[in-house]
Order: sequence, then structure tokens, then C-alpha cells
Amino acid sequence: MQLYVNIAVLASIYALIACGYVLIYRVSRVLNLAHGELMMLGSYLLLTTASLFTGHPYLAFAAAALLALVVGALVYLFLLRRMTGEMVLAAVLTTVALGILLRGVMVLIWSASQQYPREALGWANPAIALPGGARISTFALLLILSTAAVYLSLFVFLRFSRWGIRMRAAGQNPLLAAQRGISLHGVYALAWGLSTFTGGLAGMLLAMDSGLDGTMVVIGLKAFPAALVGGLDSLVGALLGSLIIAAAEIFLIHHVDPLLSDVVPFLVLIAMLVIRPWGLLGTKEELDRV
Amino acid sequence: MTALLQVEQLEVVYQRAITAVQGISLVVQPNQIVALLGTNGAGKSTTLRAISGFLGLDDARVTEGAVRFKGERIETLSPQDITRRGIVLVPERDKVFPNLTVAENLIANAPRGMTLAERRRLHELVHQYFPKLAELKGREAGYLSGGERQMLAIAGAIVCGPALLLVDELSLGLAPVAVEELTRRLVEIRRELGIAILLVEQSAAVALEIADHGYVLENGRVVLDGDGPRLKSHPDIQEFYLGGSGERRSYRTVKQYRRSRRWYG
Ligand SMILES: Nc1ncnc2c1ncn2[C@@H]1O[C@H](COP(=O)(O)OP(=O)(O)OP(=O)(O)O)[C@@H](O)[C@H]1O
Ligand SMILES: [Mg+2]
Repeated sequence: MQLYVNIAVLASIYALIACGYVLIYRVSRVLNLAHGELMMLGSYLLLTTASLFTGHPYLAFAAAALLALVVGALVYLFLLRRMTGEMVLAAVLTTVALGILLRGVMVLIWSASQQYPREALGWANPAIALPGGARISTFALLLILSTAAVYLSLFVFLRFSRWGIRMRAAGQNPLLAAQRGISLHGVYALAWGLSTFTGGLAGMLLAMDSGLDGTMVVIGLKAFPAALVGGLDSLVGALLGSLIIAAAEIFLIHHVDPLLSDVVPFLVLIAMLVIRPWGLLGTKEELDRV
Repeated sequence: MTALLQVEQLEVVYQRAITAVQGISLVVQPNQIVALLGTNGAGKSTTLRAISGFLGLDDARVTEGAVRFKGERIETLSPQDITRRGIVLVPERDKVFPNLTVAENLIANAPRGMTLAERRRLHELVHQYFPKLAELKGREAGYLSGGERQMLAIAGAIVCGPALLLVDELSLGLAPVAVEELTRRLVEIRRELGIAILLVEQSAAVALEIADHGYVLENGRVVLDGDGPRLKSHPDIQEFYLGGSGERRSYRTVKQYRRSRRWYG
């Protein structure tokens, strides 16, 4: 039973991170390889807002989440906007450089040592007993609930809201979208904002549960196979991919060797790329654009 | 009366090497339907792209001449700014969002400076002109037939509230009934909404049926122009575009055709 709880928690973590990769890829065909760093930045922002708003943990949390959204939009507007219409590869390389830069800056500002935003916010993290004898920490449960809420909101947003529909339109045919008066820069900035918001949220909840240091980037990187296995342009695919990767990882850790943990996602990814390179639910013709 | 659109001596070069349009001049008056005729590669699409500003994506540039819209020079404006001023293009290919439903295709459009009421009215009108689209509103646009797709593309352009509609290849790949329906709608749209239309067509018969004025392009130049009836009765048009007399010959080999340009050009 505990095994399944662990899978659910890990899958939620991956899914919450992976939807950020999917959002940006789906509207602009850009792989954001700085997503792990941006996610970590989100949790460091929480550390800072926690010390700014002592005694107001909810305010600190909301401020950090909002900041993450703004940071994402700014990254697009000041950095990637110049790449729009150029080769996708140039944009992807820019995100790589951004990631390296962010990592350096974060160490400079917040140091590389392990930190605990939960203590700064003054929240406890008691374990909750589940039927069947399994246990789950409060923030892990919160993470699962947040992932569900985020995916639900994203589905509703993309299907029913005007801006959501415009985002899908721009992803399918940017030229026509521009011809119909849709502001591509607006749509892309929104995608970056939402992506960094969800990634930041994942980072914050993760840091609340188990502390925060430079290794968080690795988790961001491990969510990337989850997005790819599902097919980079599909949210349902990201959900499915996260579940597969998390299940494979937990089972192998449990039955074979805990040291496999960091390798498993990429093993699954390679297997997937050999069998079905466009992912479980991805669009086949998208492949040549990666 | 100032012309709605005035193109003067327009020259467009692709990749700094291929001159696709070499000094085209044309005029669209308010509330007019103007046809641009010509065979493959004559430069019709390029002209429309130049007017709507979407040239940079194909690495093309306007190297000479001017495009005036309501008196203002627009050839150096960004595509977004041109769209905002009221020129909307229905492109030759990729004219709908394939994975959006018909209804979503219409909602996605982002017209500027229109109130919600105006927007609603245009949506209603579009459904009056094309009742089929209301029936198909839940269908993904990628599964539409060619005629339905063209309807959706025109409807999508109309809800952007254009003053000038550019339509590339109205009848391409469509059955005669579908084409007739579309042209009838365009005439209605022009009459009721006061939208001017610049129409690119391979089929002179279709275009000259509804056009007030027509231009015939060949190798990036205007070789013939005149009002609809006059072009229709012109012997060269009769022979080479309407299939009037006997076997098809290449008009490039006919000297009389070259000579007759001077009378009109
Ligand atoms: N992207 C491009 N790059 C280079 N040359 C181009 C490009 N697009 C068009 N051309 C060239 O410009 C010329 C005019 O093309 P254009 O598409 O405007 O013709 P058209 O009259 O629309 O023809 P059709 O009836 O086949 O659509 C052609 O010789 C074509 O080869
Ligand atoms: Mg063409």
C-alpha cells in the first residue's frame, strides 16, 4: 500500500513539473531546458517571501507563486521574444544558457546549503495515516491535490476560455493566428508565465515537504522524460507519462536497487524513443520539429 | 474619393534573388470587389502577402513601390499593425486551425477595438451567411470538406471586422456549386457590411462573374486590366482563361496578346 502512495506522490511531482514543459512546447515548439532551474527559483522565492512576510505564511506563499508567474512572463519578454520566428534551436540553446546562469545566481544569493522554507513559514508537516496502514505527509497530500487542481484548471482554461483557445490556435498555426489579430507575444508570455507558475508551485511544495538545495534541479530534469513519454504536446500524455515513470522508478528502487532512482526515468525515455518516438499521446507529425 | 487600397509600382524579391512581383500597380475602391487573375507563379499570392505584410516569414521584401491603405503608407508596417488597420487575409493554404472546432476557430480570433456587442453581431451575421457553420460548430476544422473549410476561413476573417478582405484562391479544389454559393455570399457580404474584397483566382469565369474590376498578372506584371464586363469580353481572356476558342495554346507564344497590353496597361 505504501508503495502505491509513494507512486502517487512521485507521479504528482513529475506531472506538476511536466505540464510546464508541455505548455511551452505546445504553443511555441520550444523545449524549455531551464524549467528545472525556474522551478527551483520558485522555491527560493518562497524562502525570501517567507522572511519578508513573517507571520503571514499564506501571504508569503501567494506572493511567491505570483512572483513565479511574473518571472516566467519576463523571461519570455526579455529573453526569448527575440528568438520568436528564428530557429527553434536558438531558443532551446538560450534556455540552456539561462538554466546555467540561474543556477549560478541562485547559489550566490541563497547559498548551496540545505534550507527549510517550511520552518521559516512556521508550518508543521504531520504524517497522515491512510487506510491500509500507509502514511503520507501533509505536504505530499497537498502536492497531489494541487496537481489535480492545476490540471483541472488547465483543461478548463484551454478548452473554454478565450485566451486558452487562442493559445491552442497559436500552437497549431502561428501564422494564421497572427493574421487573425492574436498577439503571439502575449500568448507566448502567458504560456511562460503559467509554466513557471506551475513549476514554481511544484518546487515550493517539494521544498516544504523535504527541504531545498541544488539537487532540486535533478527532479526537474527527471520530469522531462515524463513529459516526453506522454508526447510533448499533450497534457493527458504528461499525466500518463508521469505515472509510468513514477511507477517504474518506485518499483525498481523497491525491488532492485535504490541507486537506480536517477537513472530510471531516462531508461524509460530511451525505451520509449525506440518504440514510439512521438510519445504515447503525442502527435506523430510533431516529431520532425523537435 | 481616395482609394481604399492603392498599390504603386510594387516590387517584391524573395531571398534577395527571386523577383516575384515586378512593378505591379492596382487600386481597390471602397466597397469594390477586385479580381487578381493569372496562371501559376504569376505573383498573385506574393502580391497579397505584400499587402498584408506577411512577407518576412518567407524571407521576402518589398524592394520598390508603395502600398497605401486609406491614404497611409503601410508597406513598412508590421503584419499585426496592418491587420489592426483592417486588412485581413484568407490565405491559400492552412486557413483554419485544424485541431480546434468550428466554433473555437471563430472564437479564437482577436479583433481590435471592437465592443462585445459589435463582436456578437458579427458572429451572428456570419452564421446567417453560412448556416452550415452553425450545424458544424462542434466539428474539428481539420475534418471539414474543402468548401466548408473555405466558408470557415472567410467567416473567421469576417469576425475580425475587416475593411478590406484579401482572399487567395477562392475556388481552388471546390465543386462548382460550392464556388457559386461562396461567390454569392461574398457579394452579400460586400453589400451588407461594406467590406471591399481583393480576390485572387485561377478561374477567370468565377472571378469576373462578381468582380467590378480585374487585373491579369503574368510573370509579376500586370498585363491587362479593366472592369469586369470589359475583361470578360476581351478576346485574350476569352481565349486563354475562359476557353472560348478551340484548342489551348500558350499565351506566351502569341504576339497579339503582347501587343494588346499597351491598349490597357
Ligand atoms: N517562399 C518563396 N521563396 C522563393 N520564391 C517564392 C516563394 N514563394 C513564391 N515564390 C516564387 O514567386 C513567384 C510567384 O509566386 P506566387 O506564389 O506569388 O504565385 P501565384 O500567382 O500565387 O501562383 P499560384 O497560382 O500557383 O498560387 C513564383 O515564381 C514562385 O516560385
Ligand atoms: Mg498563389
